[in-house]
Amino acid sequence: MAVIEAEHLSKRFGKKVLAVDDVTFSIRAGAVTGFLGPNGAGKTTTLRMILDLVKPSAGSVRILGQRYRDIPRPATRVGALLDSSGFHPGRSGRNALRVVAAGAGLPDTRVEEALTMVELEGAARRAVKGYSTGMKQRLALACALLGDPEVLLLDEPANGLDPEGIRWLRTFLRARAAEGRTILISSHVLAEVEQTVDDVLIISKGKLLAQGAIGELTRTAQPVVRARSPQAEKLEALLTARGAAVNRLDTALAIRGPASAEVGEVAQANGVVLHELFTEVPSLEDLFLEIAGTRREL
Amino acid sequence: MISLLRAEFLKLRSTRTSLGLGIAVLLVSLVPTVLLIAFIPTHLLNGGELGAGATLVTYIVLVFGILGMTNEYRHGTITYTYLATPRRARVMVAKLIVYGSTGALAMLAALLVAQLVGVIGLPMRGVSYHVPGGGALADYARQIGVAGLVTCFGVALGAFLRAQVVTVAGALIWALLVEPLIVAFKPGVGTWLPFNVFGQVTSSSIATDAGNLAAHSGLTRPEAFLVSVAYIAVVSVAAVVVSMSRDVT
Repeated sequence: MAVIEAEHLSKRFGKKVLAVDDVTFSIRAGAVTGFLGPNGAGKTTTLRMILDLVKPSAGSVRILGQRYRDIPRPATRVGALLDSSGFHPGRSGRNALRVVAAGAGLPDTRVEEALTMVELEGAARRAVKGYSTGMKQRLALACALLGDPEVLLLDEPANGLDPEGIRWLRTFLRARAAEGRTILISSHVLAEVEQTVDDVLIISKGKLLAQGAIGELTRTAQPVVRARSPQAEKLEALLTARGAAVNRLDTALAIRGPASAEVGEVAQANGVVLHELFTEVPSLEDLFLEIAGTRREL
Repeated sequence: MISLLRAEFLKLRSTRTSLGLGIAVLLVSLVPTVLLIAFIPTHLLNGGELGAGATLVTYIVLVFGILGMTNEYRHGTITYTYLATPRRARVMVAKLIVYGSTGALAMLAALLVAQLVGVIGLPMRGVSYHVPGGGALADYARQIGVAGLVTCFGVALGAFLRAQVVTVAGALIWALLVEPLIVAFKPGVGTWLPFNVFGQVTSSSIATDAGNLAAHSGLTRPEAFLVSVAYIAVVSVAAVVVSMSRDVT
């Protein structure tokens, strides 16, 4: 069952900026979906359209089968982390959450639970203006969790987090996913979500380039054979002549087309010494670069 | 709606805006009243000086109302407000109720402080203090009501225009400069202008106090009240209509 369904969704700001261009996708229940793309790709605008904060120029989007604004007590069904700066600087972390909880009709006990979940209990009485970027990000995450929602939309949740914070976030998201929640997480740092997501949506320049299970997409991505040889130039010429796409940097080669066994056989048959030969499993980043057509080999 | 009202009251209590309002109201009700009681000749002390700060309080609650809405945009908290309550008209109604009642309470507090100054200060000048009678009490009640209306007008203006500095500066320039000039040179038009209309609801004190809020009376009090409510309703509805199509980015 699809939790979020977008159909031909577009958003134009003014006459010149087409932030989202005819995007159609669906997010399945219980999956962690990575919404991937470079900065300015249209991820945030799409998330805000899902949440009725930005009005689509064309198309429609439904979450849990209806428009966000039609969901009764939406904070109890959908939690969103959009912007860690959306807090009054003079308000304490606890009061910032209490305000949101009160507006959503949630009891103050949820505030304490959410503070505990993001490990901010110790700083709850401090004004938000004294928080670090990482603490604000955790506070925003606590906001998203206030209503114990079944769907989480997280826009660049690792922004501003240090490596320890990113590890904490990864563990945190895994735990939420294990509870069966549907999570849509946008990011431009692909390595950051690679170990967490089941499905991916890849967007660039407002257009959706690919969607599907990460396993399937990486299987379809062409593997890269990497070789290192003191005669790299000769090997490059031999492989290129056989139709392979080869990129060379000094003694290192990145080869697309032939399998590693074939590369090894060509090298042996032509007396080329190899110091290294292996097949690289495509990473999410490789997949993204290949789909987005922005790959710069080596 | 109850939870929304609770959230709005909590917003007020959890920042320094309400503290600033309290201090400002205390100062503008205390200082002019003390100065008047201390320095004007005793034969002119007739109890009217106890409402000297009312006009200033009205401007303070106007700014307070504007800040109530524009602060949401300035600090980006409007995102969480609309996520919790996507029906934007409900947010507007809650703000009008909460800020309107707080503005009215601020005026009540200002009038009480002024009376307290009178209780202490008038006998020190050898003048007896008289508890306000029916007419004066009705006048004070109207001032309290107008403070609530002006605060609501500020909220509606803030929601409509969104930009804090522009809205505060524009509203004050309009109320203190533009509108009095129009009232002076085109009284027929001025009668219907918003701050003049608010002043005509009270007419006996605010209208004549500083000559800013309503100098020209062309409407009866009930008419002025109805036009005041109409102003707030029109700007509020316009703000809601605009906010429905406004992107929160």
